Amino acid sequence: MGKGLFGMIAVALKMLMGDRVKYLGLVFGIAFATLLMTQQMSIFVGLLTWGANPVLDVRQAQLWAMDPRVDQPDEGQPVSDAMLYRVRSVDGVAWAVPYFRSTATLKTVEGQLAAVTLVGVDNQSMIGLPADNLAEATQAIRGRNAMIVDRNNAYLIWPDGRDPVGQVAEINDNRVTITGTTSALTTFAGLPTVYMKFTDAIAITPPERNKLSFILLSAKPGTNIEELKARISQTTGLKVLTRDEFAAAGTQFIIDNTGIPASFGTAIFLGVLVAIVITALTLAMFIQENLKNFGALKAIGVTNSQILVMVLSQALLVGFIGYGLGIGGTAAFLTFGADSPGLRGFSLLGEIVGWSAVGVAAIVVGSALLSVRRVLRMDPAIVFRG
Amino acid sequence: MRALLDRFRPARTRRSHQMEAQVNPALAAQGIGIVMEFPNGNERLRVLHGVDIEVPYGQLTMLVGPSGCGKTTLLSILSGTLSATDGVAAVMGQRLDLMGDNQLVTFRRRYIGFIFQQYNLIPTLTAAENAAIPLIANGTPWEDAVGRSSRLMEQLGLAGHTGKLPRQLSGGQQQRVAIVRALAHEPALVVCDEPTAALDAEAGQAVMGLLDEAAADSRRAVLVVTHDDRIFPFADRIVRMEDGRMAAGSQP
Repeated sequence: MGKGLFGMIAVALKMLMGDRVKYLGLVFGIAFATLLMTQQMSIFVGLLTWGANPVLDVRQAQLWAMDPRVDQPDEGQPVSDAMLYRVRSVDGVAWAVPYFRSTATLKTVEGQLAAVTLVGVDNQSMIGLPADNLAEATQAIRGRNAMIVDRNNAYLIWPDGRDPVGQVAEINDNRVTITGTTSALTTFAGLPTVYMKFTDAIAITPPERNKLSFILLSAKPGTNIEELKARISQTTGLKVLTRDEFAAAGTQFIIDNTGIPASFGTAIFLGVLVAIVITALTLAMFIQENLKNFGALKAIGVTNSQILVMVLSQALLVGFIGYGLGIGGTAAFLTFGADSPGLRGFSLLGEIVGWSAVGVAAIVVGSALLSVRRVLRMDPAIVFRG
Repeated sequence: MRALLDRFRPARTRRSHQMEAQVNPALAAQGIGIVMEFPNGNERLRVLHGVDIEVPYGQLTMLVGPSGCGKTTLLSILSGTLSATDGVAAVMGQRLDLMGDNQLVTFRRRYIGFIFQQYNLIPTLTAAENAAIPLIANGTPWEDAVGRSSRLMEQLGLAGHTGKLPRQLSGGQQQRVAIVRALAHEPALVVCDEPTAALDAEAGQAVMGLLDEAAADSRRAVLVVTHDDRIFPFADRIVRMEDGRMAAGSQP
């Protein structure tokens, strides 16, 4: 097979690229399918990540303790303040701090109402603030009823784009002053996140018997995490999850309770279908139109192995170029859309790049093998039959 | 991959010929007692009934006869693109019917040149690239192969057409490119299936002139299947067939 193979591959590529309509049809078909698949997968993964972001934004907390009924981070079931002290008393706990998370309605001085996610962070350690601008935010939040705002979504509160710092607003008739900004990871709820000290947050929200949404804690060095979780649960009756477990629970909640997987799954399936249909049909048409030429090549002495490599080369070339264009399109879409609130935090993951490459390769190789069967079976004497 | 390819190899009925065939190595091609049957529903249709034929070197042999008499089938068998149901087919004294598939393909690539009725030039390759295909398939580097085919084209009166695509050439010019393709690797046997059928009289004469020159080489034979009686004068030998047999009085 080796002798003359590279020359015959060159013949094959010239055969394909000279047929501009089919060549471009294949390239753009695969590019479109790749774009559809990878763009939809990226958005899907990005949306799932949004479900985990409330947890991922709290980098200092190794473990989250919560009411056993809680399924995801935006669904806090308040527990008794006493639980915080009981958790702290468990052997192996290095520290434990309160964390408040709830939705609230913020009213601007102009009277405009905006739903926000109000987060109350520990008064002393400020654990719970995002990492961005942490030093300044930590200082800015210390004053009474001081509030830090996620600047990414501040436009949802003040659509005119004004600087939030210095603005005054009300939550439940309590005056709050915006003293700083931070950058929070986008959450699935899509509301602007505002931060206050824990005591301020629970003071301005409607009275309830319990207001402690979560307890954030860390283990002492050398402590077995699983054993610590079990000890805390045994002592307090709370559910304890690691940061990763709770983040995964956030994404799982979206998978289990929304139509997003079905919607995106359909789009991705359609992308695969488009790729298969376009590639298989166009390659089949190309081979059908060149059947006599392939027959002539076989008569001249080109082996079935060489024909197979020729067709695979054609398929892989259009697959490679089409895939490159498609991935490039997705990368451009995500890059240029990075500032859009609807796409914030979305990225083209290496796994998506890798698996989509495998998928496209499988589609083009499969299509090529299906299409070439007729040529391989063909008797070379067919060229003499008029 | 080998298993996959084996699945798609044309079924070859390789019944060993019972008689002790006397293959003459002095002939470019030879057929002895060639029988060919094709499936026809539940029966088998016999299109060649034990045909003998000899194709000497240095001659242009024409295989003529009415449509459906088996000329093209015999040509396919002698060129190693079709396996006979029975009988012996040999080229350069080597029995094609005893060769394995890969051996046969390699043999065709090296020693046989093909000219088809419809030229079968690849539309997206230039004339010189088309003519270079047998050389490329034989492992000659691309530039060398195209250079060689270009020079041959110039010798055969196609200077200035080497870089053109087939659609930019007339039918006669395309067939001449096909002749260059058939001769580029200097085969011992050139087989032509109705080479003038798609050409006007003038172009047909020009093409036959080239084939006649090619046949003048004592290391080569040209076998032409045709029923175009305008080109009979170019033949050194004419072998007539009727109903799958050699016509009465026709030499093998």
